[in-house]
Amino acid sequence: MANPDPVSQTEDLVLEMRGIRKEFPGVVANDEVSFEVRRGEVHALLGENGAGKSTLMNILYGLYKPDGGEIRVNGKPVSFSSAREAIQAGIGMVHQHFMLIPVMTVAENIVLGIEPSKGFLLDESGAEQRVRELSQQYGLAVDPGALVSDITVGQEQRVEILKALYRGADLLILDEPTAVLTPQEATELFQIIRSLQADGKSIIFITHKLNEVLEIADRITVLRRGKTIETAPRAGATEASLARAMVGREVLLRVEKGASDVGDVLLDVKDLHVLDDRGIEKVRGVSFTVHAGEIVGIAGVDGNGQSELIDALAGLQKVQQGTITVDGRDISEATPRQALDAGVGHIPEDRQRRGLVLEFSISENVALHDYASPPDARWGWIFPGRMVEHAKRLIKDFDVRGGGPFTRAGGLSGGNQQKLVAAREIDRDPKFLIAAQPTRGLDVGAIEYLHRRLVSERDEGRAILLVSLELEEILSLSDRILVLYEGRIVGEHTSDVSEEEIGLKMLGGKEKTAA
Amino acid sequence: MNTWTTRLDNPLSVRLRDASVTGYAGLGLGVFAAFLAIPPIEARAVVWPILAGILGASLGVWTVTRGRRRLGWGAVAAGVIGIGLGILATRSSAGNLSSVFDATLFAQTLSFATPLIFGAIGGMFSERSGVVNIGLEGMMVMGAFWGVYGADKGNSWALGLVVAMGAGGLIALVYAFFAIQLRSDQIVGGTGVNFLAVGITGYFFVTLYHNNPIPNGVPLLPNVHIAGLGHFLEGSIGDLNILTWAGLALVVVSYVVMFKTPIGLRIRACGEHPRAADTVGINVYAIRYGCVVLSGVLAATGGIYLSEGPQGNGSFLFDMPQGVGFIALAALIFGNWRPAGAFAAALLFGFSTAIGLRLQVYSASYATLFNALPFILTLIAVAGVIGRTVAPAADGKPYAKQ
Ligand SMILES: Nc1ncnc2c1ncn2[C@@H]1O[C@H](COP(=O)(O)OP(=O)(O)OP(=O)(O)O)[C@@H](O)[C@H]1O
Ligand SMILES: [Mg+2]
Repeated sequence: MANPDPVSQTEDLVLEMRGIRKEFPGVVANDEVSFEVRRGEVHALLGENGAGKSTLMNILYGLYKPDGGEIRVNGKPVSFSSAREAIQAGIGMVHQHFMLIPVMTVAENIVLGIEPSKGFLLDESGAEQRVRELSQQYGLAVDPGALVSDITVGQEQRVEILKALYRGADLLILDEPTAVLTPQEATELFQIIRSLQADGKSIIFITHKLNEVLEIADRITVLRRGKTIETAPRAGATEASLARAMVGREVLLRVEKGASDVGDVLLDVKDLHVLDDRGIEKVRGVSFTVHAGEIVGIAGVDGNGQSELIDALAGLQKVQQGTITVDGRDISEATPRQALDAGVGHIPEDRQRRGLVLEFSISENVALHDYASPPDARWGWIFPGRMVEHAKRLIKDFDVRGGGPFTRAGGLSGGNQQKLVAAREIDRDPKFLIAAQPTRGLDVGAIEYLHRRLVSERDEGRAILLVSLELEEILSLSDRILVLYEGRIVGEHTSDVSEEEIGLKMLGGKEKTAA
Repeated sequence: MNTWTTRLDNPLSVRLRDASVTGYAGLGLGVFAAFLAIPPIEARAVVWPILAGILGASLGVWTVTRGRRRLGWGAVAAGVIGIGLGILATRSSAGNLSSVFDATLFAQTLSFATPLIFGAIGGMFSERSGVVNIGLEGMMVMGAFWGVYGADKGNSWALGLVVAMGAGGLIALVYAFFAIQLRSDQIVGGTGVNFLAVGITGYFFVTLYHNNPIPNGVPLLPNVHIAGLGHFLEGSIGDLNILTWAGLALVVVSYVVMFKTPIGLRIRACGEHPRAADTVGINVYAIRYGCVVLSGVLAATGGIYLSEGPQGNGSFLFDMPQGVGFIALAALIFGNWRPAGAFAAALLFGFSTAIGLRLQVYSASYATLFNALPFILTLIAVAGVIGRTVAPAADGKPYAKQ
């Protein structure tokens, strides 16, 4: 197995990328990037939002054509013009934004392109059987017959990994696979990665979570603004040193915040009941308040009613029973427009589906809510010049990289899309701000900025509701923490509560006293 | 566990409390009301259809109040329409009625449905792969003219069929180049195809035939004679055109291809999420090209039936399809982009054309009413009364590789 490669006698390289260059209109996404992966290693690829990680991987996977550079797989020079060729060369990729077809089943999604057949016909039971085997072999639990539209994000992630494994990938690219996973699911994923590694597979692992890098990676490569900064072994690396390499300066990894100066009640929710799209009651009698100058965190495992609660507060889902009051105004029957006007700001969970119109430019996206009022419009007319100015200001304040006011929002990297949404919502000056997974896919530098920004918004007297699947984020930012379990609030804590205690409640662990 | 068998195991009282049972009963009663006055029942008093219709509609209302909105409103609509049709039927004489409803009505329904089936299934291939095809009408004109031309010059209907298919495939290829390669707007492109086809066929009709009608004696698409089936069956399916049978086969084959084969899975993937298809190594462009060309070939086959089939009799007129391509598109949408659905819709529309034709015997206005039926039903379907129709997610969206 381990016969030394003539080109590089000392190491057994599965992948060598040299001098890779890729330009998009107005941005150099990859600038002479070099990157290599040894056989059987887990290689973490780090970098700020827009550093060019996804672009580099899309080039490797044959989806983008590089403008220059050389790629070798197993020592042989290759030039893929489509994903098919990359797959044939043993490369598998799990994309940052999932590539699943909602109306098809899990099994159909996995076998698509290399379908098992019986004569002319698709061998459906064979496909399901094959998926079941794979899923057992790697401990990735999925239901082959379920429609993708019916499964959770965590399950979608597993389906994506199985898709790559089904194609017999030896080199597996995982582009931010943990961004949407709960901590438990992430731990499971690490076990899977280890078992793949034991199987002799090589893995490229992209993430913004530095603790994960230190836990799983053998070597680490850092990109910054399209260039390779360094490749180093894990030994000796710390979160702080990685953050410095990524951002190019010292990063505060902890949130600094003073005591909160609590004012009037700005959000008052009473006995709220909300159904989901399928008519199942997901929020079952929730009551709480958020005061001015306070960050209230909602902790909970994904799928316990968070999405429906958020949607109801933003006027996007009908309230079945109960009331929502924002600064004395009842918005339980409000349309999204009325909710916005009542002073609700909303950083949605899913930036691509809810937050942005991907085909619109940055400036149009910035004006999405307030296109009809100053500064973007006056006397019923939109002033494009003002819109552009407005967008420029937000791009600068929130450090949105990868384009100007006229750039298509869909062309931004994932993290920069997130920054854009956050910028628009905070800039609207809401009384009450819903921040749902506000740092999903953000790099450490951007998280630092956003966290500081949320704290300073709090200090200016806004009421903030933070919904996050990341317990650490909840614990470090919130002044008060509510635990949501099966649509009910099962605990209320101050911020000095231990992670274990909250974790237990999130899983529905019974307590001595029930409020 | 089959829900219907469990339902039927329950006592009547329980079954009646199930909202979907009352809904379907309401629908059934509405349809029943329309047929009360015609043979074989022939209840001649106006009260009967009214009674059945009202009963159906009220079951519908009851269903609505218990949550099954769509089904309930469907039953209400069926009841009201049933009353209307039932009254119309009782007003006319029994003699007229039996001249309207007989075995050949069935044959005529199939005959009118034939071009619709080809058009709708053709459209299905194109749209399932993600390319909207409103150029079906134009592709049909191509089939109608070049088919009769080929049959005339080659003195063989089979040759005509091949020429028609080639012409349809060719104009579809032109459309595919614009829609897929150049990523132009597909509605505009499809409209262009419709005009282009009229222009091409008109020009060649004038140059090749000097504005004279196509000479008599062009070999026509043959009928398939089946004897010894008994009176009713022989009247209905004993003398159908070869393309009608081919259309029936096409429904089955296209269902199998689209939903039971690997290639069908890939086509649907391209129509739902082309980028996802691309990332698993499917050549989205190739699939879309193939599907659009196939849709042209099939639509043209529907087109040749208009000129070379029993209704055309070897003639060609400039406006030959007269909207058949658009009705086929309606059948596709009404049938929810599925072969069986499109087939059912094509039958329904074919039936309404056949009825319309026969009602001309005693009222031209009823006939017109029936000709409008496809469009009205499609509007109702799109508005979501009976189930919701859902287009493929990427239908009409050009795909750009980076
Ligand atoms: N399809 C595209 N069109 C135009 N610009 C693009 C496109 N894809 C990426 N870019 C630009 O290339 C740069 C690198 O983007 P890329 O997606 O590779 O970043 P990333 O490192 O993956 O960031 P993130 O961590 O936010 O996902 C960004 O400036 C982005 O705006
Ligand atoms: Mg990325």
